[in-house]
Amino acid sequence: MVARRLPEGTASTAQPARRVRFTFDGRAFEGIEGEPLAVSLLAADRLILSRSFRFHRPRGLMCDTGQCGWCECEVDGRPSVRSCQVPVHEGLAARSEHAWPSVDRDLFGWLDLGSPAIPPTFYHHRFLRPRQLRKAYLDVIRGFGGRGRLPVGRPSSTPSRVARELEVDVLVVGGGRSGVAAGEEAAAGGASVALIEAVAGRMRPVRPGIRVLDGAVAVGWYEGVVTAIDEATLWTIRAGMVVAATGTYERVPTVRGADRPGVMGARRVLDTIRHQRVLPGGRALLVGDASDLAEVSDALTGEGATVLGPVPTAALRRVLGRRRVTGAVVEVDGSTRREAVDLIVLGDRTPNLDLVRAAGAAVEERDGQLVPVLDEAGRTTVPNVRVVGSAARGRRGAAVPDGPDARALVCFCEDVHVDELRAQVADGYGDPELVKRRTGALTGPCQGKYCLAAFSATLAAAGAPVVTAPTGRPPLRPIRLGDLVASEERPEP
Amino acid sequence: MTLPTTADVVIIGGGIAGLAAARELTARGAGRIVVLERDYPGAGATGRNVARIRRMQLTEELCRVAMACQDKYERMGGELRSNVLFYRLGYAWILYEPDEVERMRDIVAMHARLGIHSALLSPQQTLEHLPVFEGGEPVAGSVLSDDAIVHHDAVVWAHLDHLARAPGRQVTVHPHTTVTGIERDDGGVRAVTTDRGHIETPIVLNATDGWSSQINAMAGVRMPNRPRRREVLVTAPIRRTIEAAVTFYRPSEGWFNQTLRGEVVMGAVDPDEPVGVDQRSSWAFLRRTATLVTRKAPALRDVTVIRQWGGMYDISPDHLPIVGPTGQLDGWWQAVGWSGRGMLLAPYLMELLAEHLVTDTAPPMLRQFLPDRFAPDDEDAGAREADYYARYAAGSPQAG
Repeated sequence: MVARRLPEGTASTAQPARRVRFTFDGRAFEGIEGEPLAVSLLAADRLILSRSFRFHRPRGLMCDTGQCGWCECEVDGRPSVRSCQVPVHEGLAARSEHAWPSVDRDLFGWLDLGSPAIPPTFYHHRFLRPRQLRKAYLDVIRGFGGRGRLPVGRPSSTPSRVARELEVDVLVVGGGRSGVAAGEEAAAGGASVALIEAVAGRMRPVRPGIRVLDGAVAVGWYEGVVTAIDEATLWTIRAGMVVAATGTYERVPTVRGADRPGVMGARRVLDTIRHQRVLPGGRALLVGDASDLAEVSDALTGEGATVLGPVPTAALRRVLGRRRVTGAVVEVDGSTRREAVDLIVLGDRTPNLDLVRAAGAAVEERDGQLVPVLDEAGRTTVPNVRVVGSAARGRRGAAVPDGPDARALVCFCEDVHVDELRAQVADGYGDPELVKRRTGALTGPCQGKYCLAAFSATLAAAGAPVVTAPTGRPPLRPIRLGDLVASEERPEP
Repeated sequence: MTLPTTADVVIIGGGIAGLAAARELTARGAGRIVVLERDYPGAGATGRNVARIRRMQLTEELCRVAMACQDKYERMGGELRSNVLFYRLGYAWILYEPDEVERMRDIVAMHARLGIHSALLSPQQTLEHLPVFEGGEPVAGSVLSDDAIVHHDAVVWAHLDHLARAPGRQVTVHPHTTVTGIERDDGGVRAVTTDRGHIETPIVLNATDGWSSQINAMAGVRMPNRPRRREVLVTAPIRRTIEAAVTFYRPSEGWFNQTLRGEVVMGAVDPDEPVGVDQRSSWAFLRRTATLVTRKAPALRDVTVIRQWGGMYDISPDHLPIVGPTGQLDGWWQAVGWSGRGMLLAPYLMELLAEHLVTDTAPPMLRQFLPDRFAPDDEDAGAREADYYARYAAGSPQAG
């Protein structure tokens, strides 16, 4: 059983679907106009979309926020584009990056077998002899670096933006249920309110009087000023109070194989079934709490998929399969069994701490999760920042299981394993800021969104002398350099 | 680790200057050395710069020092038995105006005389070597050298690993230890007080760069160097594309280069950056850098910014570091005011400083950097940063 396109259901849009042709690595594919490129490829059972930076591990569509970065490829000449965020169009040309000869059969993928011999500190005492070869060694290392190709000599166009300023009493970041409720409550109390929502067209209508910036992505916090970018504008927003209703990210468990194509967040699975009418797998294992997974379970069984579980996150011990998920090892009541599955659905979610950390507010570990430190009113340790909704508490699941596999990945951007973090502590470099710099954990494109909790928990378990989350740095999300250029400054009237 | 109660030398600051000084003093048997670091080693400018190690400078005096400094780095891996990723990436000044090109003719001739490999490239040659500038603001030429980069963090760890191997625990490094006061009497320095204890010592080395004015004030020493923020951004890695670390000065100073991993680090300097201790990141920096850099190199519009940070240049009036003892207080030594060149200069100048401390004689090359070239009431470096080249104008007393 493989991923496949489903017959059109009632859930699809009113407009008739238009089939478009596009290419990926030179091969022709067909998709439905406007659906994410990564989903079009999923419908054709193309699961491997990218390779990880260090060990060329296969990666595919996983998250629902566009922030894991596992689906990055070159799209229409632009490097490292997250293909889950790109609407497919007629004639689109995509290429995979960082793989040879192909992303599916990447010879560099064998590096992963040697990963125990190539810790992040591999070069510290090596490549010094013979002296004459020092530059050559580094040229080889340099050859392994990089990802995307820069379109030198044929620069792509970026939309011209206007820089604008906005001043309000209350700024709500995130247009989900809690964000809208917080905004409406503030507006009812007479405050001027702005609300920014990253995904255009997703919000339900809000009461009049709230300034909604639909499709604006909050990208920074600078001394109380929030900055955001949308298609036409670079926003600088000053607010007396900032309410973070920023929701959650999937929590990828710290087990071996957790990054295999075929491991997907529950919301992404629901979305592909309901909105894009694509079934990501035929035999799924649900991982997490039953109440979080009931909806996705119904959707999968409704389309004829076999559903196993849910099993608690702690019961998942290993994901099997080299190039895509072929099974899982599950431990229940002390006994271990293997399940043959082609899809693993993750239900746990961890708070989105991006804004909170950038503001310098304290976070703490609670029930195995990293959550913001809040008072009864939902205020963080930075007085003019509040957190509401799931961003305040996440949804279940300890970051790291008891006795985690030493070779499980903590940081996916940089392929940093549990034992490599422990080794830093053992070597006397256990300060989280040093562990970050020595291993590269937290420094990749996701900037810790998918590993901060596991990073902190692993260091704490290893007896690190100082246990704090390293400083969060802006921007909150990756930004194209060209998107920061404004053609005009326009003060808010 | 518990803090010792006495030491022969206390070094304040666990960055490149403090760690290199500890290495050189230990190598010369200067007794028991204690390094105090407020945060983690390398938390200040050492961990926030992009570690360009360039011999190619604008004045002959500085070129001579920089040549010795680069040699020191080239030897460092072997000496410390740790790879600091010394790599000759190449270095280029990109020139935009005819007066820059004219000026550079003399400078390239001076480089040739000293044995520095640099060349003046035509606009066409510049674009061939650095196609990233294609389609951007027309260049007037460039000066290209075979200069190097290192990995700043690897330099810190090489020193820490080396110090940890020192026999008999002659040197200890104490992170997360904040200096709260300096005790002095008529005879000079007596002790350093910290939030973790009190250390009696006859000699203190202030190696705190951006914070050095605050530490000097604790000792009652006055120096004219003042900190100014500089910012950096880094992008997601791209394939090997840019074959030099580039800097340009017109219309204002900006720079970028690729790391060995392929990330692009870059920045655009705010000429009006105010004086003060400040390591915060700013939105204005992102926008300023994006605007300036994409104007010069439009292909960089498509790189993805993933992180930014701020650090400090501790700037002295002549833009040269302040290294050595001072007549203002016996036993008070300084290695501060690096003016943005600490990573390049510190390892070698700390060798000279250690030599001075142990032999009580300043090596000739150190003399231009001695603190007492400034009087205690000299004006601070609070004036606006002028045109970059103006600091190195021929015949200027600042040319050091």
